[in-house]
Amino acid sequence: MGAFVLKRLGGMALVLLAVSVLTFLIFNVIPNSDPAVRMAGKNANPQLVANITEEWGFDDPLPQQYLTMMGKIFSGDVISYQGQEDVVSRIAEGIPATLSLCIGAALIWIFFGVLLGYLSAVRSGGLLDKALTILAVAGISIPVFWLAAILLNYLAYETELFPAQGYVELTEDPLDWAYHLVLPWVTVAVTLIGLYSRVLRSNMLDVMDEDYVRTARAKGLNESQVMRRHVMRNSLIGIITLFGLDFGALIGGGAILTEAIFNLNGVGQYAFESIENLDLPPIMAITLFGAFFVVLFNALVDIAYAYLDPRVKLGSATDG
Amino acid sequence: MANAAPLIAVRDLRVGFATEGGLVQAVDGVSFELVPGEVLAIVGESGSGKSVTAQTIIGLTRSPNARIEGSAQLGDAELIGASESELQGVRGERIGMVFQDPMTSFNPVYRVGAQIVEAIRAHRPATKEEAHEQAVALLDSVGIPDAARRIDDYPHQFSGGMRQRAMIAMALALEPEVLIADEPTTALDVTVQAQILTLLARLNRERGLATLLITHDLGVVAEVADRVLVMHEGRIVERGSLDEVFYAAKDPYTRRLLDAVVRIESAAPLRPPRSGAALLEVTDLVKHYPARRGLLRREAEPVRAVDGVSFSLRAGETLGLVGESGCGKSTLCRAALQLIEPSSGSVRFAGREIAGLSRREMRPLRREMQIVFQDPYASLNPRKRIGQIVGDPLELQGVASGDALREQVLELLGRVGLRPEHYDRFPHEFSGGQRQRIGIARALALRPKLIVADEPVSALDVSIRAQILDLLAELQGDFGLTYLFVAHDIGVVRHVSDRIAVMNKGRIVEEGPADQVCERPADPFTRKLLAAVPIPDPHEARARRAAAGPA
Repeated sequence: MGAFVLKRLGGMALVLLAVSVLTFLIFNVIPNSDPAVRMAGKNANPQLVANITEEWGFDDPLPQQYLTMMGKIFSGDVISYQGQEDVVSRIAEGIPATLSLCIGAALIWIFFGVLLGYLSAVRSGGLLDKALTILAVAGISIPVFWLAAILLNYLAYETELFPAQGYVELTEDPLDWAYHLVLPWVTVAVTLIGLYSRVLRSNMLDVMDEDYVRTARAKGLNESQVMRRHVMRNSLIGIITLFGLDFGALIGGGAILTEAIFNLNGVGQYAFESIENLDLPPIMAITLFGAFFVVLFNALVDIAYAYLDPRVKLGSATDG
Repeated sequence: MANAAPLIAVRDLRVGFATEGGLVQAVDGVSFELVPGEVLAIVGESGSGKSVTAQTIIGLTRSPNARIEGSAQLGDAELIGASESELQGVRGERIGMVFQDPMTSFNPVYRVGAQIVEAIRAHRPATKEEAHEQAVALLDSVGIPDAARRIDDYPHQFSGGMRQRAMIAMALALEPEVLIADEPTTALDVTVQAQILTLLARLNRERGLATLLITHDLGVVAEVADRVLVMHEGRIVERGSLDEVFYAAKDPYTRRLLDAVVRIESAAPLRPPRSGAALLEVTDLVKHYPARRGLLRREAEPVRAVDGVSFSLRAGETLGLVGESGCGKSTLCRAALQLIEPSSGSVRFAGREIAGLSRREMRPLRREMQIVFQDPYASLNPRKRIGQIVGDPLELQGVASGDALREQVLELLGRVGLRPEHYDRFPHEFSGGQRQRIGIARALALRPKLIVADEPVSALDVSIRAQILDLLAELQGDFGLTYLFVAHDIGVVRHVSDRIAVMNKGRIVEEGPADQVCERPADPFTRKLLAAVPIPDPHEARARRAAAGPA
């Protein structure tokens, strides 16, 4: 197990390296234009462009440029020339809001996704299953921006049940923190609840047909033990894979629209604004930030998978 | 024994399944009694209702479409219609159950020991430690070596035979009065099957356990059963003691079933030795798979799937290739046909070296060598009509098209015993035996010289097996075919082969005329293989057990 974890983490470092090289190439080496001009943004002047060329070493050979860029990002020395602000500290400021949104939404979507999927599978073919199927498909089909607009209109503007905008620090006032996040959480979670309940339902129906479930019943386990220990345990393995990927992608940029609509001032919203302004340095830094989370959660999924399904470990030790 | 009060009394049990085509009566008025200490075998072919009967008794027929009537009493307790909680008290506690496939009957994500502990703690207020200790003792008693350590293995770390032993240990954990064993040895190699049957017989003797044995294999029945029920289309058509059923069967279906059994002693009709030229000559064929180990993926000892095999096959003869699962016989076939690239060695087909030929160079030769596969369900494309499945090779090789194609396919269908109206049907509309006929028609389409039949009858019911073997023999005469006949069942192989090659661990350990290999085996492995084959004849089985001495 230890060797497996090391191997996966090593693999993760390699993937991150590749992503950073790719990011570097996309932003700084595309032909037919001067990267310094693009980086300077809308209010570029010759002096600023010259400074940027000097600062980022755009006259150096490419490997040197790459090292300069990585050095600047990791030492926090990246400036948005348009906004005249420190990009890395701006990202750091946004992290609490982004994590609050993502983790809270994840708890909600996992809880309801699993609950509804379970009910649907246990009552498969019944009225409840049919109703939940319709709801799930509706949830999957609703676009985030539309759902957000509807929630804002009816629950914030018309009835004023929930605040429409803004983020309150958790440390400042936990109740107000949650109160402000309810609508964003729901917005992010609805689609995923629908998706997860469908995936879990079909996993469970498959597992219920397995021979080992019949064995579990033949041993005299009661129905809830059979469901919990054998059907659910084995069905959740697939869900965890899915969750790692979705959660990584959500932190890494999947919540951009939601953050912007509810004005949460998180990393996603910063990305949204930077893209609007064609402000290159923050876009670059946020791309790497997002890639880090996607890759990190991919590696965690693999490790969790090996832990949950013992056959994976064996495969890595004696395959070939 | 017959006077003892029955442990289980089944009266007029009926199980129907509502389908789109109406009610299918899977079990149609079955009655029997199981008394303490006996082994009662229910024999039948697939679809006879034998497994449904056993599962219904302990309430595991759970389909919402099932219609269950009748009565099944365990002592004084009625099981049909009993509540789930009553049945949970019976399952495991009073009736233990062992299933066919030990590969899939354990949950792969829990340790073997944990699953046995779970069974114990479902019924007894034992602590985990107590249950664990008991589980070690149980595994030890069914012959798992080093049980205290192996109990923490996962199911995939056990071999098939060990898994089935562990499954039996789990079924016996709470010392039930009744053991229901549903095809307990069908998925196992014959040598492992013999060990499991010995174990079941020992437990039956030592614990006075009443066993309900569900099987399709009359050899297994003759080895262990006291009484026999024969099921056919949901009804019991024959019942009696072992000898009554085997030697004085009244029912025509039972007699047909007994006649259809391909017995190891029944030699093939004597055929003149083939003196033709060698069609396939394999010399020193090797197929190794490289293995890598550890973090740095260092090269380890390769897996020697085929490890220096030589044989030759004369035109018009049948060579039987026997061996247990994993012995390399399928790999050998694929390497000989160049479906996988051999690591080294020579393969000459009709005098021409074909080892190392490219795919393009092999293409014209492909039509001369065809394969019939084991699983007639998986090897036919479910979305294609029969006419197309059989006609595809003809069309691909540019032999025929249009009306001529249709005519040729119809003729082929006729040759394998199918009717013209089958042309437009889909595979799922056919039984297993018919599907295998389709597979044979497809293999025949290009008039090959060599047919490799890879376990062609092992997925089929006994009564169908004989028909398919007869068909293969008939076609061999008509078309001058040469067969490489691969099977794990030495009885079947002897029935069809001129010569037999026995394979073990990637090597051919013995090769010779079929009679000689079966009657005067030279190699110890061949002797072990032959000794393990259950004999579908109670007298002989008894004689052999007596000769072997007390186990």
